[in-house]
Amino acid sequence: MAQQITINPVTRAEGHGKITIFLDDDGFVRDAQFHVTQIRGFEKFCEGRPFYEMPSLMARICGICPVSHLITSAKACDELMAVEIPETAQYLRRIMNLAQLVQSHALSFFHLASPDFLLGLDSDPAQRNIFGVMQSHPNIARDGILLRKFGQQIIELLGGKRIHPGWIVPGGVSEPLTVEKRDQILATIPEALATIQRTLDWFKRTFDNYPEEIRTFANFPSLFMGLVNEQGELVHYDGHLRFVDATGKIVADGIRAEDYQDYIGEAVEPWSYLKFPYYKPAGYPDGIYRVGPLARLNIINFCGTPLADAEWAEFRELGRGAVLSSFHYHYARLIEILNGIERIEHILNKPDILSKNVRAYAEPNRLEGVGIAEAPRGTLLHHYRINEDGIITYANLIIATGHNNMAMNRGVLQVAKHFVNGTKMQEGMLNRVEAVIRAYDPCLSCSTHAVGQMPLQIQLVSPDGAVLDELRR
Amino acid sequence: MARVLIVGYGNPLRGDDGLGWHAARRLSENMRREDVEILTCHQLTPELAERLSRVDRVIFIDAACTGAPGEVLQQAIQPDMSAAADFTHHFDIPALLACAQILFGACPQAVLCSVAAETFDLTESLSPAVEAAVPKLLELVHRLLD
Repeated sequence: MAQQITINPVTRAEGHGKITIFLDDDGFVRDAQFHVTQIRGFEKFCEGRPFYEMPSLMARICGICPVSHLITSAKACDELMAVEIPETAQYLRRIMNLAQLVQSHALSFFHLASPDFLLGLDSDPAQRNIFGVMQSHPNIARDGILLRKFGQQIIELLGGKRIHPGWIVPGGVSEPLTVEKRDQILATIPEALATIQRTLDWFKRTFDNYPEEIRTFANFPSLFMGLVNEQGELVHYDGHLRFVDATGKIVADGIRAEDYQDYIGEAVEPWSYLKFPYYKPAGYPDGIYRVGPLARLNIINFCGTPLADAEWAEFRELGRGAVLSSFHYHYARLIEILNGIERIEHILNKPDILSKNVRAYAEPNRLEGVGIAEAPRGTLLHHYRINEDGIITYANLIIATGHNNMAMNRGVLQVAKHFVNGTKMQEGMLNRVEAVIRAYDPCLSCSTHAVGQMPLQIQLVSPDGAVLDELRR
Repeated sequence: MARVLIVGYGNPLRGDDGLGWHAARRLSENMRREDVEILTCHQLTPELAERLSRVDRVIFIDAACTGAPGEVLQQAIQPDMSAAADFTHHFDIPALLACAQILFGACPQAVLCSVAAETFDLTESLSPAVEAAVPKLLELVHRLLD
């Protein structure tokens, strides 16, 4: 008799999710599904609101990456107003975007993922969390807290508060940067750089401990997508979309935000509230692609900052074309922290950074606008339509976790086939199934507009639908 | 340098859960002491541990979900990592204190001042029972500061 395993809730991730593993008659894994079980519906309830409210409304989608929604929404509103925002405003938005990237990546790596590396994937689950890390590796836990604080402090200094700052507005930002705040941020750069460099040092030494996980954690050919600038440099605020294949070959490039629907389709499945975006030219489900830190480092020609470029050269050695194992999302995340800190310093030293000219004013001049930026977890896209009075009539959001949906599902199947067997689950097996999801750092609250934080469950299901075993934390 | 930190926390959009914010704002309006720092936050996050490690005393202000609405409570809190939740976006007070001790080598004396809530509905106002208890709560905080 075939069977089914359910992991519910999935732990150490943002939002609510569930994994079902289907077994065949011989007890081997036949299929696996990663379900996102709640819906929020921001796309619908923002209809009827004035367009200029959108940045602050959309920021409420997430408490972890509100800045990404704020920035992407503001960029869509810039398009509706048809304005070119002042250069200093662009710089300041970039700094805030990078600060959020640093704090979000630090949360993902240190608080959510590091317990697996430092305490072991098979260690006691009661200890396998950030509190366990604090007791066993206090220096590393302290580094995580300091890096997160570095990013949060910049967001607070620029935006007035750490969560849901209202400083980014359509047309630019609401306040210029002061010399005191600039110097305060610059003073924190050396410690942040030292912290991420020692983190990279110890993390790279752990790779030898996880050959099986590196080989099986969503390690398959797929496309990768993200933003690059004209030179193919790593960018997070602007640029155009590029797709590369598993060999590293560019398959589509120079895609403007407003043309996204020519390249990205969105499929739905009855068992998840999370949509399944796909690369349109390849169709569904063949058009599977990945976004986020791993994808970004796979699509670029260079990082654009010296320390990150040196690290990126090592990263590229991990694969002959693109780096395919999703285990290396973690490594890519750390390289992006390094790049983010370097770039914040670089931007803060620009001569015009203290300019008072930081906002363009205009009424709506277009009825449709698309904003695009790189959020910590990947490409974020906001598409709005308005009527003549500037009232929202349509909104479509494609969130990083959505882009990765097909890849996460395939990754769960791959790791389940490798580590799960029989009708009785062992915790270490299930932690690996969860860990592959964790590598993507999914934000399920963002992706489905679900309420609350993420627990997840695993269920083992027979072909006739009977639940044979269940693990719930 | 602040020797005492007052932390008002909760969700100011959920009725009485915003008590910490209301109390912190009123304390700030009349605070003349330079050794007292007041901050507000939605929840207790690990980053607060470093700040806690730099003060002698900390007073947390929060709504309580048990007790008769409007009842003012005072409770000394000790560091305790075992009380920590599995999830890591926010800490409870004992875990946060333990984190300060383990990671930053110092842990302040901690007191939680709370008022039993009446409602956590979607509003930025306090319920009448909790609003009426705020003067008593502020008096308690001032007494602790003395």
